[in-house]
Amino acid sequence: MSVAVEAKDLVKVFGSVRALDGLSFSIENGEIFGLIGLNGAGKTTALRITSTLLLPTSGTVKVFGRDVVEEASEVRSLISYLPEEAGAYKNLSGNEYLKFMASFRAKNKDAVRELVDVASEISGLGERLRDKVKGYSKGMKRRLLVARALMTKPKLAVLDEPTSGLDVLHSVHVRGIIKRYVKKQGVTVLLSSHNMLEVEYLCDRVALINKGRILATGSPAELKTRYKAVNLEDVFGEVVGFA
Amino acid sequence: MLKGLFNIVVKEVKELVRDPKILLPMIIIPLIMFPLMGFAIQTSMEAAEEGIGKISIAVMDLDGGPVAENLRINLTNWNVKIVEIDDPDLTEAFSYVQESNLTGLIVIPSGFSQNITEGKTSELEVYAPFRGGGITESTSSSAVSSLVSLFENNLIDQRINERFPESNSTTVLNPIALSEKSIINGKGVDVNPEVLFGLVISQSTIIPVGIMMLLIFAMQLAATAVASEKEEKTLETLLTLPINRFMILAGKLTGSIIVAVVGAIAYLIGFSYYTSSFTGAIPTDAGVDLAAIGLAPTFLSYLLMGLSLFMALLSALALAISLSVFAEDVRGAQALVGPLSILFVFPMIFTIFTDISALPFPLSVILLAIPFTHPMLAARVSFTGDYLTAIGGILYMTVFTVIVLYIAARLFGTEKILTAKLKFRRFSLRRKK
Ligand SMILES: Nc1ncnc2c1ncn2[C@@H]1O[C@H](COP(=O)(O)OP(=O)(O)OP(=O)(O)O)[C@@H](O)[C@H]1O
Ligand SMILES: [Mg+2]
Repeated sequence: MSVAVEAKDLVKVFGSVRALDGLSFSIENGEIFGLIGLNGAGKTTALRITSTLLLPTSGTVKVFGRDVVEEASEVRSLISYLPEEAGAYKNLSGNEYLKFMASFRAKNKDAVRELVDVASEISGLGERLRDKVKGYSKGMKRRLLVARALMTKPKLAVLDEPTSGLDVLHSVHVRGIIKRYVKKQGVTVLLSSHNMLEVEYLCDRVALINKGRILATGSPAELKTRYKAVNLEDVFGEVVGFA
Repeated sequence: MLKGLFNIVVKEVKELVRDPKILLPMIIIPLIMFPLMGFAIQTSMEAAEEGIGKISIAVMDLDGGPVAENLRINLTNWNVKIVEIDDPDLTEAFSYVQESNLTGLIVIPSGFSQNITEGKTSELEVYAPFRGGGITESTSSSAVSSLVSLFENNLIDQRINERFPESNSTTVLNPIALSEKSIINGKGVDVNPEVLFGLVISQSTIIPVGIMMLLIFAMQLAATAVASEKEEKTLETLLTLPINRFMILAGKLTGSIIVAVVGAIAYLIGFSYYTSSFTGAIPTDAGVDLAAIGLAPTFLSYLLMGLSLFMALLSALALAISLSVFAEDVRGAQALVGPLSILFVFPMIFTIFTDISALPFPLSVILLAIPFTHPMLAARVSFTGDYLTAIGGILYMTVFTVIVLYIAARLFGTEKILTAKLKFRRFSLRRKK
């Protein structure tokens, strides 16, 4: 298996805050990799650097061998990023939004339509895609955005808390889609989450991070045996030291 | 690459045009308000004209002499309807005039004819009823006094003819026959300079005001285009798309330009309708053929004006976009861009009221350093023939735009666009602890 993402000694300083403090991890091709950590642990910062949005203060990230700083535009053509807090253009309809996003990847009109069809299935929004985004609920918007991120079959999907704001039913739906879709299309996923259940269900491997550093990495099963815990929540408490 | 640019432009235009905050001022004001204003002015002017057509004046003749009789004959000849008032009770006459909607009341005192015939000055009272109406009402009330002055002129002619029977009253009153002409570009032209000034002033006020409005409008659009991406949290997604960041910037600029130009055209249509609705009542151009006296805009001057305006638009948008990078939401962006209006208002006022070269040196340098002065100067090029100033202005604005665009591209190209913000935290009212 080849390496999809390789992060080495990432440091990111915002003024007086050291958001990342020597973070390293690597993701195999076709893997779903989860970052878990408390609020402010640095998850979003790590994902943003991987997505070429922020520049690392020091350290490197390579996506399929491309450096996110030096070869940012090549990296952008390989990835698809779902921000933690994201919106869609509220004066466009769901369909128009998907078409707009699809047209950056698709070669022609037919290809655009194909992508939009895929997205329409992932989102499960059906007829509502014809309505303006303005009138969508938070969950509907999130489903639209998840669909947008996955429709293009990127080589790497970077999903920051993909199910935030979704109810139980739709969380299950979206998780199912990510898992099935990813395995079928051979997409690699880097995601972050607070939901240990979700991470346990979705991820092949997880990294526990705290204060910008990795505390432990491994598959959920490995971590549970290593820390003699019944679930990831306990592992987390054990590692971070609040249990 | 161009396809990506096209995508962004289409999306920008859709977003801007569907935004009621932008659509309303762009469509409602120019296309509905202006014609409505024009209609209102037109109808009231027509009403006023009709009113002048049928002036009726009450006359209380306490004199009964020949000159009073003469005045009445003159008024009738001028198409005035005369209502004789025989009762010398003024109070009653007043309420009668007011109630029956007469234009005014002339009271001819006794001894009027005698005084005039003896060559003295005689009093004559003119009353105009006050109805609290608009401007047109005041013109109708002054109509009575104008008629009386006309009559007075007749009396003057009469007196001159009596004293100097051998001379003509017009020559006595006008020893000099003044004929005013102009020199344009070294050529004598048989046109009154007042008329020319009027023309130039109307051109050099309307154009700078129009340019200023277009630029302010475009800047607000461009600022909104970036800031709304932040406010709606769509910017991060946009920045991770496989498209050159400069294309995103260019797409936003183009979208704003398109919408601003459409808005400007709507304003022009509305405004020309507005002005045309009452130009019928005001003499225009006084029959001056601009082409014949060499003042009609040539193709070159049109070209320079257009180029100059386009560069000003581009530099205004680049400036607005660079600034809006520092705002967190639309309101913040508009607050940042708002103060830039001074850069339009300042040159506008000076170009309307003075010639820049006549200003003190430091002031004119400051004005010329503001890029938006140049389109206003270029708008005068057909009058001044000063093509060099216009070309210099275009070059200056090009350099300015390239620098600002470079800065904007730098801001867009790095993480600055996500992390840069002006901190107003000190002013926050919701500070905890
Ligand atoms: N643009 C920024 N400017 C200043 N500080 C920042 C910025 N972005 C993040 N930080 C800081 O960096 C640290 C890590 O933030 P980050 O958003 O990566 O955390 P997170 O793990 O995603 O948290 P959460 O679970 O709440 O989403 C925090 O202390 C945060 O305040
Ligand atoms: Mg986060």
